[in-house]
Amino acid sequence: MVDVAILLSVGRHPVSGRARRAPTDARALEMALGLPAVRRTALHAGDPASPALRDYLGMGLDRLTVLAMAHGCDPVEPLAAHLRSLSPGIVLTGNRAEGGEDSGMLPYRVAHTLGVAIVPDVVAITVEAGGGAAEVVQALARGQRRALRVALPFVATIHPAAPSARPSAFGPARRGRIDSVPVEAPPDAFLAACAARPWRDRPKRLTVGAPGSGGALDRLRAATEAKAGQGRLLVGPSPDEAALAIYECLQEQGVLPR
Amino acid sequence: MSEQHPTARRRDPRAERAARTVRVEPRRRLVLSVDVVPQTGGRPRRDPRARRAEAIVQSVPRLRLDWTGKAVGASALPTVEGRGPRAASEPVLRVIDDPACLLFAVLDRPDGALSGHDRQVLAAARLLADAAGGAVVAVVPDGGEDLGALGADRVLPLPAAWADEYAPERRAAAVAAAIARWSPRHILFAESQDGGDLARRVAVACGERLFAGVESLSSARAARRAGGGATELGCAPPRLLSIAADAVAPLGAVRHEARRLDPPPEPDGVPALQGARRLPVDPDGVGLGEADFIVSAGNGVTDWDAFAALGRALGATRAGSRVVCDAGHLPRDRQVGASGTVVSARCYLAFGIAGAPQHLQGIGGVERVIAVNTDLHAAMIKRADLAIIADAQAVMPALVRLARERGHG
Ligand SMILES: Cc1cc2nc3c(=O)[nH]c(=O)nc-3n(C[C@H](O)[C@H](O)[C@H](O)COP(=O)(O)OP(=O)(O)OC[C@H]3O[C@@H](n4cnc5c(N)ncnc54)[C@H](O)[C@@H]3O)c2cc1C
Repeated sequence: MVDVAILLSVGRHPVSGRARRAPTDARALEMALGLPAVRRTALHAGDPASPALRDYLGMGLDRLTVLAMAHGCDPVEPLAAHLRSLSPGIVLTGNRAEGGEDSGMLPYRVAHTLGVAIVPDVVAITVEAGGGAAEVVQALARGQRRALRVALPFVATIHPAAPSARPSAFGPARRGRIDSVPVEAPPDAFLAACAARPWRDRPKRLTVGAPGSGGALDRLRAATEAKAGQGRLLVGPSPDEAALAIYECLQEQGVLPR
Repeated sequence: MSEQHPTARRRDPRAERAARTVRVEPRRRLVLSVDVVPQTGGRPRRDPRARRAEAIVQSVPRLRLDWTGKAVGASALPTVEGRGPRAASEPVLRVIDDPACLLFAVLDRPDGALSGHDRQVLAAARLLADAAGGAVVAVVPDGGEDLGALGADRVLPLPAAWADEYAPERRAAAVAAAIARWSPRHILFAESQDGGDLARRVAVACGERLFAGVESLSSARAARRAGGGATELGCAPPRLLSIAADAVAPLGAVRHEARRLDPPPEPDGVPALQGARRLPVDPDGVGLGEADFIVSAGNGVTDWDAFAALGRALGATRAGSRVVCDAGHLPRDRQVGASGTVVSARCYLAFGIAGAPQHLQGIGGVERVIAVNTDLHAAMIKRADLAIIADAQAVMPALVRLARERGHG
């Protein structure tokens, strides 16, 4: 049995631009709802009137605490102060916000301020029987998974490969309570100093051929011609010879353990 | 030019005759000895062959001529990277002895080898360093690579074991200690999964902001994507940056000295993340575009039980050509090719696939292709790195047997 806190942010739909649940934050809430928790505290720092917060409540939360602050303020200090008073065993967040600075720094800064460990890119958490530690599974590239053991308390960021979030239901979304706590937050000077403009896609860099080798002709060739392997050719070997040749080739490439 | 060459002068027979003339009256008399031939002349003679030879900038792989007269012959030209045969010549070693500042390029070395992304990070650091007169320090787990050829002036080796094991906390502590000791002007990371994690850990340890996932970089401005992908944030390159994949072109032929600095002290303290181990995953559950090792069946495969057993025995993701998916032997999301999935596997083992252009398009990014086919003239055989002319139905069970003998599956 653990005490879980979930940090939720407001996302932005990539096409319509409307406020929505941030996808990995919704997955974090889904994971929290599946943990054997004695208490689940959902926290949001920002505008308590945002309609997207109701979508989180519609997933089955009774209440959501909003640390009310103006847009463009740094939410780390108020969040850390609030979490310190709760002292949860596990803090769950998405690994990247959607619609703000989107740097993925907030969980790290919160963990650093609280002085607890951080585990990135989590897809599953199993709390050990004693409740003192947890077995955590991380998603890696190429569909691989890595398991770790972490002592409580810790902060975990949830990877997009985690189980998808349940849909939001209308009734619970209406019934859920939003508790607004006004807080003082310092303005974010670094972000204010950056110049913001609408994003425009850049042409994709053509990365054919080895860097710095050959001119336009080589690039054209690499882009248009079918690649030819510099092949070994075995004509009519016995099945066992063929199997051995393939096996050795696979081992050499490193896809089979030696 | 041709004026210096004695034979390249235009001869003027009239002037020669006049010079040899000793007497005109009553009869013209000429001196016939050679040394009287005058060295003066009219217009310089044009030697088209020599002119052309001098205009040649490059002859392989393709002839290029420069008639502007500025070209001084191929041999005397400075090496321009990526131009024909001159690219093959060794670049000159550039030594930066007394740098104005240091820049850290913190490299990932995932799976014990430098990735393309790591090279791009070095190229980005080089770009900022050249603008500031600084030196690039590659901070990387010790390995065999020649980092000088990738643009590193200095190397700060971390323990080699950290490349394989999952030790983000110790890595971050070591990098933070090195930053405190050398106070570099910029610290660049790769915005990959592990590199991004390391960058954020280092940023909080130094108490600084990270400009994460830089998409475009020049010495005056760094820009990244924010606001759910809708806005671009730009500013002068801050101290800590992480570089997104394919945002910066890797360097061409360069040579720097890669002088080793003393490694930072090993951090002490017990890491909180412990007992990291890879979990076995179901290869068929992995998306085809992500899969690392694919065994693929074409119309030449009839024994589908053996094919399934082979996938299990080798731990490979199963896929097929369009014919196979059309026939319902494999689900549609397992189709490789132009109208299926473009795969990026390291290894592609193909049984009974002819290698239609639409199929070959799908395996353009594969590192190594092994093909088994009964037809010696199939296009797949030409593409393959190891081609075997044999019956797929006989080779598949033999390979399953061999893999089981060696203790797989
Ligand atoms: C618009 C369009 C899109 C397409 N997109 C795709 C696509 O995305 N992916 C794709 O795969 N195809 C695609 N195709 C189809 C493609 O053109 C080919 O028809 C298809 O790839 C052929 O599949 P195959 O090689 O398995 O079959 P075949 O062409 O029938 O080749 C079978 C091969 O197996 C060999 N063989 C036969 N018996 C044996 C045996 N016992 N042992 C070993 N080898 C044997 C034969 O020698 C032959 O080379 C597309 C076609 C079109 C028109």
